Amino acid sequence: MIAALPRWVKRIPAFLLLLLLCSVVQAQDRVITGKVTDSKDGSPLIGATVTVKGTTQGVSTGADGSFRINVPASAKTLVISSVGYGSQEMSIGSGDVIDATLTATNANLNEVVVVGYGTVRKKDLTGSVATVKEKDFNQGVMSAPDQLIQGKVAGVQILNNSGQPGGQTTVRIRGTASIRAGGGPLYVVDGVQLPGGSARPGMGVSGIGSTPDANPLNFINPQDIVSMDVLKDASATAIYGSRGANGVVLVTTKRGQSGQPKLDIASNFGVSKILKKLKVLSASEYRDALGKYGVTGSDWGSDVDGMDAITRTAFTQNYTVGLSGGTENARMRASFGYMDQQGIVLKSGIKKYTANLNGAYKFLESKKLGVDINILASHVAEDIAPVSTDAGFEGSLIGMALQWNPTRALRNADGSYNIEALNGFPATVYNPLAVSAAYNDKSKTTSVLASVSPYFKITKDLEYRMLLSMNYSLGNRSQYFSNWINIQAIQAVNGIAQTANNEQFTRQVTHTLNYTKQINKDFNLGAMVGYEYFRFEDQGRSMNAQGFNSNSLPYVDYFNGSSTTNRGLNSYHNPTAELQSMFARVNVNLKDKYLATVTMRADGSNKFGSNNKYGYFPSAALAWNISEEDFLKESSFVNTLKLRLGWGRTGNQEFPSGAAQARYIYIGSGAVSQTQYPNPDLKWETSTTTNAGIDFSLLKSRFYGTIEYFIKKTNDLLLVQPVTQPGPNGVIWKNSDGVVTNSGVEFTLNAAIIDKAKLNWTVSVFASFLKNKFDKYTGADLFTGAISGQGLTGALAQKMANGQPLNSFWMARYTGLDHDGNATFEGGDPNVTTNRFFVGSPNPKTLLGFSTTLSVSRFSVTANMNGALGQMVYNNTTQAALAIGNIIGNKNIAKSVYNPNQLENKSASQPVSTRYLEKGDYFKMANLTLSYGLGRISNTFKSAGIFLTGQNLFIITKYTGFDPEVNTPKPINDIPSFGIEYTPYPPARTIMLGINLSL
Amino acid sequence: MKRIKYALIIAGTISSLTGCTKLNESLNGSVAEAEFAKAQDIPGLLKACYTAFRGPYQDQTGIWCLQDMSTDDAIGPTRGGDWDDNGVWRVLHQQSWLPDNQRIQDNFANLLQIVFRTTDIQRFTITDDVRAQALFLRAYATFSTLDLYGKVPFRQVGSDVREAPEVLETDEALAQITTDLTTAIPNLADGPVYVANKWAAKALLAKVYLNKGAFKDRANPSFDAADMAQVISLCDEIIASSKFELETDFFKAFTPNNSQTSKELIFTLENTREEAGNVRFHWHAPTHYNQNPSGWNGFATLATFYDKFEAADQRRGVAYGAFTTNTGMRVGMLEGQQYGKGGVLLKDRSGNNLIFTRDVANIVTGNVETPGIRVVKYVPDMKDDWSADRDNADNDYVMLRYADVLLMKAEALLRTGKGAEALVIVNQIRAIRGATAFASLSLDNLLDERGRELYWESWRRNDLIRFGHFLDAVGTTRPAKSDNKYLLFPIPANALAANPALGQNPGY
Repeated sequence: MIAALPRWVKRIPAFLLLLLLCSVVQAQDRVITGKVTDSKDGSPLIGATVTVKGTTQGVSTGADGSFRINVPASAKTLVISSVGYGSQEMSIGSGDVIDATLTATNANLNEVVVVGYGTVRKKDLTGSVATVKEKDFNQGVMSAPDQLIQGKVAGVQILNNSGQPGGQTTVRIRGTASIRAGGGPLYVVDGVQLPGGSARPGMGVSGIGSTPDANPLNFINPQDIVSMDVLKDASATAIYGSRGANGVVLVTTKRGQSGQPKLDIASNFGVSKILKKLKVLSASEYRDALGKYGVTGSDWGSDVDGMDAITRTAFTQNYTVGLSGGTENARMRASFGYMDQQGIVLKSGIKKYTANLNGAYKFLESKKLGVDINILASHVAEDIAPVSTDAGFEGSLIGMALQWNPTRALRNADGSYNIEALNGFPATVYNPLAVSAAYNDKSKTTSVLASVSPYFKITKDLEYRMLLSMNYSLGNRSQYFSNWINIQAIQAVNGIAQTANNEQFTRQVTHTLNYTKQINKDFNLGAMVGYEYFRFEDQGRSMNAQGFNSNSLPYVDYFNGSSTTNRGLNSYHNPTAELQSMFARVNVNLKDKYLATVTMRADGSNKFGSNNKYGYFPSAALAWNISEEDFLKESSFVNTLKLRLGWGRTGNQEFPSGAAQARYIYIGSGAVSQTQYPNPDLKWETSTTTNAGIDFSLLKSRFYGTIEYFIKKTNDLLLVQPVTQPGPNGVIWKNSDGVVTNSGVEFTLNAAIIDKAKLNWTVSVFASFLKNKFDKYTGADLFTGAISGQGLTGALAQKMANGQPLNSFWMARYTGLDHDGNATFEGGDPNVTTNRFFVGSPNPKTLLGFSTTLSVSRFSVTANMNGALGQMVYNNTTQAALAIGNIIGNKNIAKSVYNPNQLENKSASQPVSTRYLEKGDYFKMANLTLSYGLGRISNTFKSAGIFLTGQNLFIITKYTGFDPEVNTPKPINDIPSFGIEYTPYPPARTIMLGINLSL
Repeated sequence: MKRIKYALIIAGTISSLTGCTKLNESLNGSVAEAEFAKAQDIPGLLKACYTAFRGPYQDQTGIWCLQDMSTDDAIGPTRGGDWDDNGVWRVLHQQSWLPDNQRIQDNFANLLQIVFRTTDIQRFTITDDVRAQALFLRAYATFSTLDLYGKVPFRQVGSDVREAPEVLETDEALAQITTDLTTAIPNLADGPVYVANKWAAKALLAKVYLNKGAFKDRANPSFDAADMAQVISLCDEIIASSKFELETDFFKAFTPNNSQTSKELIFTLENTREEAGNVRFHWHAPTHYNQNPSGWNGFATLATFYDKFEAADQRRGVAYGAFTTNTGMRVGMLEGQQYGKGGVLLKDRSGNNLIFTRDVANIVTGNVETPGIRVVKYVPDMKDDWSADRDNADNDYVMLRYADVLLMKAEALLRTGKGAEALVIVNQIRAIRGATAFASLSLDNLLDERGRELYWESWRRNDLIRFGHFLDAVGTTRPAKSDNKYLLFPIPANALAANPALGQNPGY
């Protein structure tokens, strides 16, 4: 029949055809209304799900807990459930009104957990998946969603690379498994995989260096997120195959609910200040030090603080308006967000405009055809401070401010900046206030992530679903440095300006067929097969110029006025990455006691070498619900007890496309040369994980939690190595022979200590004990941790060696000052490799998270704390920016390097040594929230709440730098460092007041 | 039936929306090898052969630091917290380097990158002229590699780059260089000097013959009479061409636009104000912050080396016309009080007079800014208003110079018993440089003369080895004779790991 259709009909999208062709099942429907309330206090339950048993027909309750559902005449039972509550079945009698009460359960195992390409009941879960719901998110000023779950999931470490609003984080799920970059998790937003990386162009400028990258998740409004699921073990992540090895974070945005239209307004206002100031000499201490060292001409008579001058009290405002509503068959939600977060450093901040629209539509009388749509649009404007990760001896803004001579006024009497006169010579001291004024750096990143997902229930048990998505992101950045600043590299060329546009385009098409069948009373079968195509392309162009004569205009607005001899153009267009995958999953549930999940994914990628085009990633997991066994079923002590065991193989394919091929590239001025060594064997990194876990809930589910053990071995480690010369310029990508083993035990414990109608106290503890080891490696030595500073070119702090954790600190052992005030080191010369030792690891041995909520009537207090123990942090800030040598250079020094009773030689060199390696143990009050829920105020205001949050209230640590929870990227040859601080953008402490209203 | 129909429709939809892809890679911003073979951008490939010289030959981290800083004419002292740089500079001067030294690693790879590019271009359809240029450039880099490391990893044209390269030991490498040069010479042009040319090839070939016996046994260099005859005959061809002559102004060979103005140059690396190598290190690395052009206050020379010059020898340093008038800085060696424009006394950063002192140590203490006599051999390319120097300087980098050819001829004559003839040549040079004539010529004073003429031009180590003095103590900065193993640099650890056929040099 189809073949007979004319050509133009065939071109009608097949789904329109489906609409035309599908027949209709006729049935007599009736309408049932009702209300769902909390059994404890009778408060309405918003968003509870009401479904007709045995069908997928369902609605959600509105803001007052009420629902209205069409049920077929044949329907016998309604199933009512809500997240965090039990589910209840109500039989449908002759009446049209059914009210239900649900009881809250802390460890509700009927809760649905989002897993890759679907959901499962928590009860049926066999892998290691941690879910963090909206109500448990961290509170405070959050520019990106990864901060929402910091300290909330056992085994997950999240470090800030920069305190700049919108700055990138380093996320490690169950330790570091990769030597190279790409050790972070895969993010999946509503089924759409993100490429990883921001479109905001990276930029460096002479005299400052390169600023850290932007957070690639900035495009999401955290207020739009309803839950985040962290897939940790291979049985959960293997369905993501070659992208699953370092964990997967599934971000689920809020959906519309049927019923009365609802308007939610959330707004908050924050005030931030610098969390901690480093201890540098005050003006009077500096004078003393000058005297002790006999340095003259450096006391200028004032009393100033460079850090105070460039930091400020910063204000944040944040508004989100969410609209939702619809009918059972056409639900939608739209939300609009605006956030304006000032940074605590002058001329830094982020403005986010977000819009999110999603809808769920069902068609046909049978409601077998449905379409879900989702659009996340955002525009993120950033002001970027001149704080770099790799500043050389000139330092970047934070270094300049810390070093500023505290006796020297920042401004002259006439208000102008006190800039060291040039006199034909370059300055060596830079006024941080002037640098901030002369440096301008703005970026705009616009992203649209849109997906449409039609689905069709072919039979009662079989559903086909497609997800079509595109994700486009355009980053524009313009930076200029005014010619009046006394930085030689800027002044000599009469000012510089550059602008760049980068774009990223990702497409994903996913088809899945889902089969769920209750074969008989005791046997449930679920199966899913899928096909996926993923394509990523990125390119960019930039231009730069020097020689600007007018300071009345921003240089980036009149490039045409620059000197014609000093203009530059650049572009790149990276090879397109394509990934084509087939995957399948089978779930078996026997009597709710015995569960098994088997998954398999085959990933083909065009960037893999020709001999390894496809990788296969299997997993298997078993679970035993012991509490369903007769001997425990009636136990009043044990409510649930489940044993899980999983094994699986996953991959990490985070290397650039084109890496396997020999290619010719233009290297400037018409010269062309072969780059890259072909490697037809190049493939993904392989991680093999075994996971064992126990889920339990005790005493009417007042105590519940999870204990897990995992061991993850990663081999085929991706490495970039210099090509054996003579050979093509550049590098060869190889799978090396080393093995990284991460193992650990994770505890998640939750307790409802007090559980009364008006008084509740819950406590959650997340603890993980991690081990990391590198072994069996036979290649050339691998180093990272490029240490910055004057006289430190080529200096490094970390080495990968067999038997040691990854990124182990490797340096000289400092043995104190000798009589002449010269630093001494074990074995003598600290630069001789034989005098360098493995002196600690930046990888924490213990990660801790602690959350507690106490609610009394409508008041509640929530505290979220996190910490890490057992790791070392290298303080490159003190070593390079605040060392004793500054005293003769008209610059300030750290208090820790000045001992008036034992003066250090002021011209001592500062090689890398344990002198600057510190214990990084810390425990942080991440956020403390006091909230008051006004409940339903009137028919107009269906609910309202007000809260006050303190973020980063205090840290308990002995670390002397800004924040032990830091990771300034200091890579060497693309191998990322870990646990080094270098004059970073400092973290802030924030007090925030927020209001939520629902109409 | 209906269900089957739907299933068919769905299957059709799936395949219409996404047919399986073959996963062929679209390279976008780079050209696939097969595609490039069609396009054959030969000028682009040739240009890349020349630009590959910039890193290893024009930078302070290039072979300059291996060839000069390991000797008495240069030292890179650590000054307080500055110039420690993981100790890389100090170990070069102290002759105590290890195979993981960054400079030793990078130069090995960078020199061989030239060998690769100049070999790879020969896979394509190229003219005899292009092939001759590539062969000369390959010979140059091969010569430097052999000189520094004692062996040369090498690939035949069109060999599979995935296989480990073969390794040319001394004799094979010498044969390869000689073949490349003799093959190239008939097809090389007469000039210009910044392009591979006939005379450069002959000068390099003379170097090969002169060093042959030293390369074969660095601890006991020998000088075969036939080789010396070759040196003399090649140098004579260059002399007889009448294309080159000594300039009365020694520093003219190192000024901006030097390839066009100086007749002393035989082969240079072209620098323009649009694109240039890092020739500016010659005035940045040694000079003080407060000088114009401003420096990085680093490298110096030893007083013992400075004392080899007569005061009137212009090579020791002179006030240099408009440059000195407008900046106050001299060129050559800078010793004592330094001046700014108009004779202003310059100060150091602590406000003391900026006086470059004779004594220097590996680790300078006290006033770290002033120790050491500085060397500025290239005349800085200043901006039109003399406010600063240019980032892209127009001084072409000097690779082979006529004075070197004359001195090679003199050496070959001296080593074959024709000292009198050699003396005439050397005195001809000394006269034009403003030094007094030698009464007689010995190996020692010829070595010194080469030092005075060619200091900081990346020949000092090569000369010292050939004359048997490389390992000698140089004074307080290297008080004892070094072990024989330091006659060669070690093969870098990463290169050994990547190519098992490469053996480590003895002693490392």
